[in-house]
Amino acid sequence: MFLQHLVDGILSGAIIALGAIGLSFTMKILRFANFSHSELLTWGAYFAVVFFAMAGVFGNPFAAPIAPFSFGWPLLVALVFSAVSTSVLALVLHRLVYRRLSRTAGHMTMVFASFGVALLLRNFVLLIFGADPIYYSTALQFAIRLPGGIRVMPDQVFLLGLTVVIVIALHLFMTRSRTGISMRAVSENPDLARVSGVNTDTIIAWVWVIGASGAAIAGVLYGLTVQLRPELGFALILPLFAAAILGGTGSLYGAVIGGLVVGISENLSVMVIPSTYKPAVPFLLILAVLYFRPEGLFGERNT
Amino acid sequence: MTRLLKILAFGLAATLGVAGAASAQDCPIKLGAILPVSGPMGQVGERIAETGAFAVEVMNEAGGIKGCDVEYVLRDTQGQSTVGVDAAKSLVDLEGVQALVGAVSSGVSLPVLTSVAVPSKVVQISCCSSSESFTALAEEGKTEGYWFRTYATNRSQSAMGALVASNQGYKKTAVIYVNTDFGVGLAKRFEQDLAKLGGTITSMVAYNENQQSYRAEVTAALAGDPDSLFLVAFPVDGATITREWLSLGGTGNLIVNNSLRSDDYFKAVGHQYLQDMIGYDSAQPRLPSVDSFNEMFQARFDGPPNGPGLHSVFDAVMVTLLAMEMSDELTGTNIRDNMRMVTSSDGTEVYPTVEGLMKAKELIAAGQPIRYVGATGALQFDANGDVQAPKMTWKLDGETNVETGYYTTEEVAALIARLDG
Repeated sequence: MFLQHLVDGILSGAIIALGAIGLSFTMKILRFANFSHSELLTWGAYFAVVFFAMAGVFGNPFAAPIAPFSFGWPLLVALVFSAVSTSVLALVLHRLVYRRLSRTAGHMTMVFASFGVALLLRNFVLLIFGADPIYYSTALQFAIRLPGGIRVMPDQVFLLGLTVVIVIALHLFMTRSRTGISMRAVSENPDLARVSGVNTDTIIAWVWVIGASGAAIAGVLYGLTVQLRPELGFALILPLFAAAILGGTGSLYGAVIGGLVVGISENLSVMVIPSTYKPAVPFLLILAVLYFRPEGLFGERNT
Repeated sequence: MTRLLKILAFGLAATLGVAGAASAQDCPIKLGAILPVSGPMGQVGERIAETGAFAVEVMNEAGGIKGCDVEYVLRDTQGQSTVGVDAAKSLVDLEGVQALVGAVSSGVSLPVLTSVAVPSKVVQISCCSSSESFTALAEEGKTEGYWFRTYATNRSQSAMGALVASNQGYKKTAVIYVNTDFGVGLAKRFEQDLAKLGGTITSMVAYNENQQSYRAEVTAALAGDPDSLFLVAFPVDGATITREWLSLGGTGNLIVNNSLRSDDYFKAVGHQYLQDMIGYDSAQPRLPSVDSFNEMFQARFDGPPNGPGLHSVFDAVMVTLLAMEMSDELTGTNIRDNMRMVTSSDGTEVYPTVEGLMKAKELIAAGQPIRYVGATGALQFDANGDVQAPKMTWKLDGETNVETGYYTTEEVAALIARLDG
């Protein structure tokens, strides 16, 4: 059972990691705790519903799955569609709310504004799609048995693989590309970056796009393995924050490790404590990290 | 300043006085309902709320109560106790209702009862709360008699679950249950009952509502290689759990509680995966009054009354309205005292049709006791406000929900006596 819980933890940790990357970046570079980030996961997942509804005109996206997965190529297109749409949504929010506020308002105002935005976003999902759960496909995927009696669903392995690919791609982007390097510069010191000729507006837009795309992909893949509800993202907000804080804000690998630690510890916790206390585990992790290493595992101490 | 105060005080007193005098025969008469029309039980709750409104419609067609139309004031509990208590408070304090129908979950009904209904001396009648905590509370005298329900308690549900497991020959059963008053009570009883019938429990796993995924809970329940799963859940979370359970290699031998007897649940999981599932539910006795309710429902909603709580909420509303008709003055205490008068075993039988209700009102006007026989048959509240009901077992055959067994009230009572003995 231990191994099974460990594997489950890694798989659910991968989703948290994908979501936490964006949260961690926005926290570091835009300098506020964005509580509306989790709603981007929800919107990402529902954008894919819209895509499937439109693609349904050309045929059922789940009709010709690529074995052993439950989906075919349309899912990959849906991922791109949803990432783009969610990025647009994030940029609109930035322009309408966060950019205006960041000029005049303080840190706490931004945090509360993000609460408000989160509420709006969630209730718009309710309004448009209704409260009933939605499934991309109600076909059930059965787990395959790995040596050691561990059961995993192929879709989840795909998800883990995709996370690894995205993290590597982001790593290359941050270290090799000019935009990536500028992004790190802005996160270090925005004023210094600006006087060195970095266009901070463009960089901030990039941060939103990366964060929103990660959230969208996490949302779609999460929706694929369970079901879509308007509370999809909201239910993940604590694990996301725990992962971002645990890893250290602004750190790519920190967010990934943070996500995995949160996922694994949530799943392993049911072996020692009653399962009803499982949602408290991220709280405990946040407390422990803030107490022993406030800058996070991979974060840099602010000087 | 003092003059202004005097005028204010006078005005206030006048308003209150008028309101107080008018309340006795104010039309329309209000009946409060606190039900979960959104949230994790929204799918079930909405149908229950509509059926409650239907009962009020039928009564209004028969001329209403005390010559007044009845207004059905519905408030959403969202399945949460805090929201439910607020809703009940506003119904009692602002709308002035003297009787509350609801809630669905025991975890909501209980705080409403103890912090609103009993202190305000208002009758509360639930269609669906089956926790045994209410019986215990009533035995201690803490409900002051204001609590009623038209739905049999958990005691019979866990007994039925255990009976199904033993009839099927299951030896090792895992239990996944919702972490509410209802779920915990039912699961713990099931554990005792199953042991009496020779089965064993491999694991007892509680889950919290409204989570996106239940992998960890399902994995924990898979430990010990169970040959069956007793699932106490509601449709939305229940579908997630069942899907993850089956995906991860759990057995298709499911035993489910009555709240999962819902098309939404079957559809979300997929009928083809649920062919080995067996459920139980409260059954309607084989009586003409039940058939006539079913026909009325079919005519009104263009579909049969399939789903938890529909028959029982209809009767909850009807009995309360008849008790109101019998009360000289509409106070919670009068309604409470008349609840047993309209269901008395030596009364004249009346049915919940328009004609039946008109006859009932004539009998009441003549001061005669009546015996309401409705959608759940002849109700009889015991000293704690509880009722007994026959039970049935069901399964899916293809996409149709079919009945596989029927247990009369006496048979259920005998089973419980055997398990308790």
